Amino acid sequence: MRFPFIKNFSFAALVFTAAPAFSQYTYFKPKEGFGIEISLSNTELKRMPMYRNSIASLTVTGDNIIGGTSANEKMAPYIFVASLSKRELVQLKDVNDVFPGQRSVQSGFFKTKDNTLYAGTIANKINDTTNGNGHLLQINVDAAGTIKVADLGIPVNGEGVFTITGNINTNTIYGITYPSGLFFTYSIKSKIFKSYRNVMPDAGDLNSVKGEFHQQPETYLCNALIVDDKGLVYGSKAINKLFYFDPANDSFHILADLPEEWGRRSLGRVESWVKSADGTLYGGNGGDGQLFQVDPATKQVKNLGKPIMMNRLRGMCFGADGKLYGLAGAVPGYAHLFSYDAKQEGFTDMGNPQFILKAPGIEDGIEWRGFQLRSIAASEDGKYIVMGEDEALSQLLIFPVGK
Amino acid sequence: MKIKDFKFLFAGMVCCCLQVVNTFGQASITKANIAFIDYPDFPEGESTWDDIGYSTKFNKVVAGVTNHKDKVALFDYDVATGKMTNNGLMQTLGNLREFQWQAKIHSKIKEGPDGYMYFATDGGESREEYLMDHPAGYAGGFFMKWHPQTKKLVNLGMGLQYESIKDIDIDPESGKLYDISYPQVHFTVYDPAKNTFKDMGRLGSAHVPRVMFTDWWGDCYYVDWRQRLVKYQKSNDSLVFARNSVPAFEGTPGGKIITGITAYAKDQKNGVIYFVTYGAKIVAFYPRKDGIGKMVDLGGVADSAKNIDAWGPYVPNLNIGNNGKLYYIVGGHGNFIIENKTVLMEFDPATKKHTLIYQYPVEELSEATGSDTKDKDGNLYFAGRKDLSSRSIPFLIKFNPGKNVKK
Repeated sequence: MRFPFIKNFSFAALVFTAAPAFSQYTYFKPKEGFGIEISLSNTELKRMPMYRNSIASLTVTGDNIIGGTSANEKMAPYIFVASLSKRELVQLKDVNDVFPGQRSVQSGFFKTKDNTLYAGTIANKINDTTNGNGHLLQINVDAAGTIKVADLGIPVNGEGVFTITGNINTNTIYGITYPSGLFFTYSIKSKIFKSYRNVMPDAGDLNSVKGEFHQQPETYLCNALIVDDKGLVYGSKAINKLFYFDPANDSFHILADLPEEWGRRSLGRVESWVKSADGTLYGGNGGDGQLFQVDPATKQVKNLGKPIMMNRLRGMCFGADGKLYGLAGAVPGYAHLFSYDAKQEGFTDMGNPQFILKAPGIEDGIEWRGFQLRSIAASEDGKYIVMGEDEALSQLLIFPVGK
Repeated sequence: MKIKDFKFLFAGMVCCCLQVVNTFGQASITKANIAFIDYPDFPEGESTWDDIGYSTKFNKVVAGVTNHKDKVALFDYDVATGKMTNNGLMQTLGNLREFQWQAKIHSKIKEGPDGYMYFATDGGESREEYLMDHPAGYAGGFFMKWHPQTKKLVNLGMGLQYESIKDIDIDPESGKLYDISYPQVHFTVYDPAKNTFKDMGRLGSAHVPRVMFTDWWGDCYYVDWRQRLVKYQKSNDSLVFARNSVPAFEGTPGGKIITGITAYAKDQKNGVIYFVTYGAKIVAFYPRKDGIGKMVDLGGVADSAKNIDAWGPYVPNLNIGNNGKLYYIVGGHGNFIIENKTVLMEFDPATKKHTLIYQYPVEELSEATGSDTKDKDGNLYFAGRKDLSSRSIPFLIKFNPGKNVKK
């Protein structure tokens, strides 16, 4: 009986997408969830071509979903705008048209009170014009989705911009450079960059993470910074340390070790941050995938555990329902969408999201399963969670939360 | 309800032992044109999954039979002697450890320039896909090659970690292997000579189209989620996307669109590759060396009828006879045009005429797979199976539209 049963059943579940009967064939499929096709090669539709669309930076302003992408080597990234209500890509800006030689906008966005966005770029390794220089960008998107990009300069010569954050009260941007891992600041008002070597890996660190553990800057540099309500800037440094920067006196302080799994402390680094409404900081350890919490008042670090078995915690945001939503796991496994509710549920692993994607030519809709998810952001009211894929042809996946 | 419609449609066309006037060498096609050949000495054998191929060099048909759990036996059928041989378990011959368990070979078995028969392995879905990061989880699919004369199996190593390999094809000039992974639909290129492995990225949606094919120049074709042909053009190591989707019936559901092509057969003499889509279209594709060639919609896999979803019939197999006509078996995976019956169909691309040759209850033939498997004598082969009350039993189907066949 086993074969015909499995045969008919898997066929129904996979092809006709009928209601699944095996628990392992369930996906996160809220009926209001939907996809937006933003990547497709050789088309008249407004789409990003192959290998230039990994959605590395993501934010939502009003109806506009704004993204920055990473491209393959020798290719240029995009900044894009998709409409939440129209469910379509509305604008594209080829970063190569702003200045050539860039490969990635992966820093994440810092948004000021007037909705101006800031992001940084990483240059291609082989380029005649950039010398490896990444740029800091100012990005303005109007209600119609029109994108204007201004070049604010190069934070550190020969370095790209790995990640940024900022303080909306002082209009100061903080960042980490690539590949060396310098900490830098940029005053939006005075347009002055300052850089610091305090948290960059030293020779001993590099001997360990590169020499012994064969890691690359992509896997040992601090991938995210965050500013607490008092203006302190938090991040990680090799090996496995949390630090904070006090802009009042330009000082760096080691806060604690990152939560670690035995034998894997060399992989510890902050991959994502999010701040709750009460000012508590939640961090994701890329090395092992633990979610942890930092109390900015006491500086206490609490390991909240791992949402899934695999490592990586690539992004987090809060929904209107008060839950933290995050992306755990990555290649060679899958990304799992998870939620964390500190008061009631704890962790919930929702697995791969699978939503209906409709577009001209596929008006009937096809099921789109998110295997590799890189970025996540909530709409300003928290009612929609938007996720960006990390594929050769990446799409957006969106679902509503709360009432 | 719609299955019954098909039943009525065909009831007038067929009887239990239909004879068809045949314009190719004999008056009619009868049961004598078809032989079902058992796989010996593997009582656990449950199914075959597109894993069939023909060795032109050694005149043998090679198939992998699985228990759909952890054993795959490699069989070869010697066309000259009519002998079917069990050559042993792929797991043993390929030096796989227990933690490298494989449930089946899902890929075609394709002759390479060195005379070896190439294929790849598959984890079998549920246990593979959901235990991927578990200590008992799936390691990943392997590339292998087997020699029909020396019976030597060579393990060429894994593809993507944790991923199955659903299909492969081979560039006859360079020996490079193309493959598609499951469940993440990654198109990869593996060069056994240099041991280089290149991931070209994800091409699909929530389902993995099961079939890829090559043209005479060795470029490989697959489909994206819009069922557009995607060509790996080896001259510049890049993917070329067709502008338009392959032909589909109006109203074909998205779930069928994303499922791609189910089988193909090549007619190199006339420069055409025929393929069948999951939406039950037959398409004549004329490949070009550069870019994507033209496609001609030849209609459905069966005559249309009122109240029948034209995109419904399932055809996971295709062969072309020496008479230029296409032969395929409709039905399977719980999807039949005549309730619980499969049908052997002839299609003439020149006239677009369908002829139903024979129908089988699922207790005799429940599904057949395999593409473009033809020997020197014009015999066509399918990997068949039948569903009994307690299990499925696989067997090889040998068919010749022009003459009687022997087992």
